[in-house]
Amino acid sequence: MASTSRGDSLPKVQCPNHPDAILVEDYRAGDMICPECGLVVGDRVIDVGSEWRTFTNEKATKDPSRVGDAQNPLLNGGDLTTMISKGTGAASFDEFGNSKYQNRRTMSSSDRAMLNAFKEITTMADRINLPRNIIDRTNNLFKQVYEQKSLKGRSNDAIASASLYIACRQEGVPRTFKEICAVSRISKKEIGRCFKLILKALETSVDLITTGDFMSRFCSNLGLPKQVQMAATYIARKAVELDLVPGRSPISVAAAAIYMASQASAEKKTQKEIGDIAGVADVTIRQSYRLIYPRAADLFPPDFKFDTPVDKLPQL
Amino acid sequence: MEQNNSLPPFPQGLASPPGAMTPALHIFSPMMPYGTGLTPQPVQNTNSLSLLEEQQRQQQQQQQQQAASQQQGGMVGGSGQTPQLYHSQVSTTTALPGNTPLYTTPLTPMTPITPATPASESSGIVPQLQNIVSTVNLGCKLDLKTIALRARNAEYNPKRFAAVIMRIREPRTTALIFSSGKMVCTGAKSEEQSRLAARKYARVVQKLGFPAKFLDFKIQNMVGSCDVKFPIRLEGLVLTHQQFSSYEPELFPGLIYRMIKPRIVLLIFVSGKVVLTGAKVRGEIYEAFENIYPILKGFRKTT
Repeated sequence: MASTSRGDSLPKVQCPNHPDAILVEDYRAGDMICPECGLVVGDRVIDVGSEWRTFTNEKATKDPSRVGDAQNPLLNGGDLTTMISKGTGAASFDEFGNSKYQNRRTMSSSDRAMLNAFKEITTMADRINLPRNIIDRTNNLFKQVYEQKSLKGRSNDAIASASLYIACRQEGVPRTFKEICAVSRISKKEIGRCFKLILKALETSVDLITTGDFMSRFCSNLGLPKQVQMAATYIARKAVELDLVPGRSPISVAAAAIYMASQASAEKKTQKEIGDIAGVADVTIRQSYRLIYPRAADLFPPDFKFDTPVDKLPQL
Repeated sequence: MEQNNSLPPFPQGLASPPGAMTPALHIFSPMMPYGTGLTPQPVQNTNSLSLLEEQQRQQQQQQQQQAASQQQGGMVGGSGQTPQLYHSQVSTTTALPGNTPLYTTPLTPMTPITPATPASESSGIVPQLQNIVSTVNLGCKLDLKTIALRARNAEYNPKRFAAVIMRIREPRTTALIFSSGKMVCTGAKSEEQSRLAARKYARVVQKLGFPAKFLDFKIQNMVGSCDVKFPIRLEGLVLTHQQFSSYEPELFPGLIYRMIKPRIVLLIFVSGKVVLTGAKVRGEIYEAFENIYPILKGFRKTT
């Protein structure tokens, strides 16, 4: 009967006595009621939900709802445009078979580029199966950058890719630049440049990447069991704590740790395989591995079951 | 004092600079390996592009500077941004009033303006200059093809780049000479060497028959490097100095620190090596290093 609804961008009505109270909608009378004091704050509120009277009958192949898609007010600038859909009956075609009422004139031409970018962002995110919250954050970042116009000269795709990278970082699940490169047509150099420019333009900063951020992804892509993944995480963390790998990129350290852990377990992976997944050259893995190898015994977690003992680990 | 930038035709002899005044004497850190080329001197009125005279002048400065180093002078009101580093190490000198040197004298000690240094101990480390980029206008249009054909050590590939690339061995520098008459000189290790090298290139162009002059010599960029001799925790530094630092190990292994005053970019590495760039005068490099040194000491790796 009554339900709560929130429109974030619509003008908020508030109870004058309880501004913090969430208003409750009463559908029967079309009122917004304050739950604290019962004051009717907004009356004769127009319901923007879907049709009330939808009958289920066999011929209902088309959706009788006449309200259309959900608004995306945060991103589109909230313009109300009308789009003429393709006609269905015979009357909608003129003599040559072309449809009358050619439709889809420039809708929101000012934001056409932005909508294009959103489509591109969704495509890119889809390729690496990113969840909706990251896509939304990316869209927001892109919108902020686009409206600021400080990076206007840069390719929109580059800004979109960099926004995707920042959104992943901000959500606590960073993707490497190479992973973003893999789903974008922009080079790593350009994405890196746009990344720094966006951080400057929006005056934000991001946390530093750590080795643990990538463990679960790399290990599952390699098909390593949970034990090995946990061991690799522990090894990488210990290696950084003991400062065995100063100045090495956390990705390279993570890859070397995965190599060591997998070589000590039953599921041995080659450097090349790990390098392919992590986007690291196998010589880089070799270099980092050489740095952590001497202290291998200290790096393994205490409860690790060795398939290959520490002294039999490959030494490259 | 104005500087005479015109160059006479080659056969003319040396003109003695009229009314040569005692050049301002400047101090140097004793850690500098040699004295030449370190004085940011105002250039005397050189009517000729004579390199001999240039070198003589530099030797003169060297001698005078050595004499000055025995002086005990008072504080100088020069336009210095220098740190206190030079207090204990070198003697002070007097700058001539009203003498605006071509390069600001960075080495005059002064009470530090920036209160960033907690204690008054200096780092004892002086950044070494590695590269100076300067530009000069030769003041006449050039035909790059003739230059490339007749000059030695010149390469010209118009499809790749629209300038002649010329190199000389002493000082070891490279010049890009454009058809508009402008020239960029890179690779010198000090201001004087850069100027000398630029004059040598201008001389080469002059000998080829172009009416080359030596207008608006300006140093555009100076790069210095040094070593703090201890490893640095870059992660800590980027956390506390977020608005100035950028540390992305995926993109570059060093931390990029953009100092606001002076406007210098520092590349700080885990090993403790620091590269400073973006300076127009030597003093900015020294000042920037003095500013960053206590900060780096705070992020020294303890293991």
